[in-house]
Amino acid sequence: MSRPMGESHKRFLQTMMSNGIISTSQAKALHRHCCETHGAHFAPDRLEEFIDVINTNLQPMFMHIRKGTSEEDGAQHYALVNMAETDITRMSSDYADNELELFRKTMDLILDSENGTASSTDLLNCADRLQTKKMKKKETEHVLNKFVQDKWLNEKQGEYTLSTRCIIEMEQYIRSVYPDLVRMCHVCHNIVLQGQVCENPDCGIKIHYYCVARYFKGRINPHCPSCNDFWAHEIPEIQPESQSQSSSTRESAAPTPSTSSTRRSRRH
Amino acid sequence: MSESKRKTSRSIQEEAANGAVGRSRPERSADTGEEDEGAGPSGIHEEDDDPAQRREIRSQYRDLINSVQQNREDMLNPANNKLFDVLEEANKLFANVRQAREAALDAQLLVLATDLGREKASQLHAEGSAFDPSAFAEHLLSFMGLNRLEEEEDGDANLGGYMPPDAWQRLSKKAQYCFKTAPSFHYMFGSFLAEPPPPRQRVERQRKAPSKEAKRIMPTQLKKMEESHQEATEKEVERILGCLRSYFADDPQSPILYYEFVVDPNSFSRTVENIFHTSFLIRDGLARVYLNSNKLPCIAPVEEGELEPGGANARHQCVISISPATWKEIIEAFDIKEALIPSPKVLSQEG
Amino acid sequence: MSQSKRGSSQNRRSQMVVDDDDEGSFTQPSLSQVQRARDNFTTVQVDRKVAEVVQFILIKDQRKIPIRRTDIVKHVMKEYRSLYLDIMKRADRTFEQVFGLKLVEIDSKNHIYILTNRLEQSLEEPISMCPANPKTGLLFVILGIIFMKGGSVKETLVWNTLKKLRVDVGERHEDFGDVKKTISEEFVRQKYLEYVRIPHTEPLEFEFRWGQRAESEVSKLKMLQFIAELHDQEPQSWTQQYREATSAENTQR
Repeated sequence: MSRPMGESHKRFLQTMMSNGIISTSQAKALHRHCCETHGAHFAPDRLEEFIDVINTNLQPMFMHIRKGTSEEDGAQHYALVNMAETDITRMSSDYADNELELFRKTMDLILDSENGTASSTDLLNCADRLQTKKMKKKETEHVLNKFVQDKWLNEKQGEYTLSTRCIIEMEQYIRSVYPDLVRMCHVCHNIVLQGQVCENPDCGIKIHYYCVARYFKGRINPHCPSCNDFWAHEIPEIQPESQSQSSSTRESAAPTPSTSSTRRSRRH
Repeated sequence: MSESKRKTSRSIQEEAANGAVGRSRPERSADTGEEDEGAGPSGIHEEDDDPAQRREIRSQYRDLINSVQQNREDMLNPANNKLFDVLEEANKLFANVRQAREAALDAQLLVLATDLGREKASQLHAEGSAFDPSAFAEHLLSFMGLNRLEEEEDGDANLGGYMPPDAWQRLSKKAQYCFKTAPSFHYMFGSFLAEPPPPRQRVERQRKAPSKEAKRIMPTQLKKMEESHQEATEKEVERILGCLRSYFADDPQSPILYYEFVVDPNSFSRTVENIFHTSFLIRDGLARVYLNSNKLPCIAPVEEGELEPGGANARHQCVISISPATWKEIIEAFDIKEALIPSPKVLSQEG
Repeated sequence: MSQSKRGSSQNRRSQMVVDDDDEGSFTQPSLSQVQRARDNFTTVQVDRKVAEVVQFILIKDQRKIPIRRTDIVKHVMKEYRSLYLDIMKRADRTFEQVFGLKLVEIDSKNHIYILTNRLEQSLEEPISMCPANPKTGLLFVILGIIFMKGGSVKETLVWNTLKKLRVDVGERHEDFGDVKKTISEEFVRQKYLEYVRIPHTEPLEFEFRWGQRAESEVSKLKMLQFIAELHDQEPQSWTQQYREATSAENTQR
């Protein structure tokens, strides 16, 4: 039988439900807070065990708190995910059918792109061709905004990417639905969407931006770790790994992504 | 039952039913006036049946009923005596009431007043303080961070001041401690049927993967307006303006069709880039787009000095979208054989 | 006065309701049927059904619309329906033991359920257990007025008060969208509010009351305490409301 959950575990789980995803440093602070609130013993190095207790109890419902890495900065996060696809899970009422279709089209475009992005123009265009129900441009913009607010997509200057939460939950799905398109990072061997590709057409390996930054750190003349060709990309800087900061800025930026830049480019 | 009596009782009912509406007083008294003539009640003293006086009484009753209904909160306010004043007023009116129709109105007013009186009494007799929604609203406004100093002198003193955009968020943060709301669980995986994407997509990718040149020609990320790109954009915009001006100079009489100008029949991505860059010409007032007699959009350069003052107001915006399919349709429809805007030099060298 | 009257009629209604449990499309299985079903299904099968019901209720709660028994039976229980009571009891246990939530039957006549929280929100959370939603503030204002005015208020009072708070029913609001729709449809569907016609009014007049969800989800005492804090008064100074709030607090637990 599974170990029973204490009140501290339940509080941790509820916070995960409300937030969907939290950074490692947030998880540590939350772990402490939950234990202290309910007078449970707090062992700072036992976060993983603490989460394991929750996961064992969640298993019958096909829910899980899973760890994953942000493609933006390589920081670790915890996300509460659903692991099953059934008649029941498809009754989710968060999005309408055409909104879900738009989301899948977004994934198609992102997976099909070299650097893991989909431009807002392409997305706005595919909204006219939705099979479930067509969407107007304004509506599409609104729905895309909602995906960003709900932390399924990230948006930067009119470019949409899959969020850390989305990748953590959808990784298996992506591997099975896009077997020909999905790429693994040559350095960390995890799935990679946003990254750099070796320019040598016979090689073409892909590496996360943050893995590139770490791998080539301090090298003046970077060469591909696979084919040894010159690595013809700008080497990104290593991001300061202040995880809580990175996620909080994303949150605060989420509600009102400016559409002014996208408008300008489409204006005529 | 006598004819007249039936008539009277019917009109009492009518009054009772209509009375509460009581807003369109002038019309009402007009059409009741007609009825009065027909009613010609028997057995009623002459002096009791002066239609003008009766109309006047009814009208005053309706005014009173109206004012009670509309100032309900005011009437209930423990700080004043308005309800009592209303009843005084009604007593005065009732002194002149002789007939059932007026009496019915009086009854209606009394029902209203008793209702209010009961509510007011329950307030007064309740131990402790009474709750005043207006005061509540004022306290909430302060809590939500209303800045009363700004725009205060603007006519409506009630709605002056500046509310910060996070006002409701601020209230919610505190108010949610009253709620035992369960958090809800949201997910993306499993909310739709897992299906592979249409095969067309994969074919496309395989086709374009080997050709490096093809990749280069793909529309550069139009949204990225970083410094280096910005400069490139400006150059490209100038180059296109040059093209437009030279075509126009060649034959100033014949209009240049917009689509013929921007569409590159050999490259969809070049077409998109042309549309993008041309849009800057229009935004900056260096070119204008208008419809010709066939309602087709045409483009022409704007001569220096031709720039109309306050032009920004007269300008219209529109968004156009173009897909490979519509691009092909346009090429066919306009029978476009070659690009009016040649590819930029860098690309033509490589190609 | 009118307040106590309404209270008692409500009690009468809920008592009456407990007696006729058999309404709706769902027919109460006989004891032998239940016994047969218990023998027919393995523990693993029943465990899975319980988990599915929990999953279903969680999903239906995403928009805070109350969950009907008929939907649970139709979409999840299916051939397990004779074990309905067993399974619901175990689902409630899962909600308590795993999630810290409570499955509440807010309408025992039509068998309608909602989830409420067993955990109290604590101050100074590193990440909020319940990220603030501006609609909570709106609900607080409306439920607060209703409660302070003795249990029901005319809609015009609500609209007028909101207007003072710069929320105009006739206009789109930044946070609430179509205000009238949010209040008189969404909140009503979620059972936070009841929106009912006042009899014998011409033109039609409507009043608001607390909905069944509000009754089990909202703490009257905490609400009164916050309202008192706003007025810079003691909660006890509203004697009647204070009495009602404290007694509600005792029965809600």
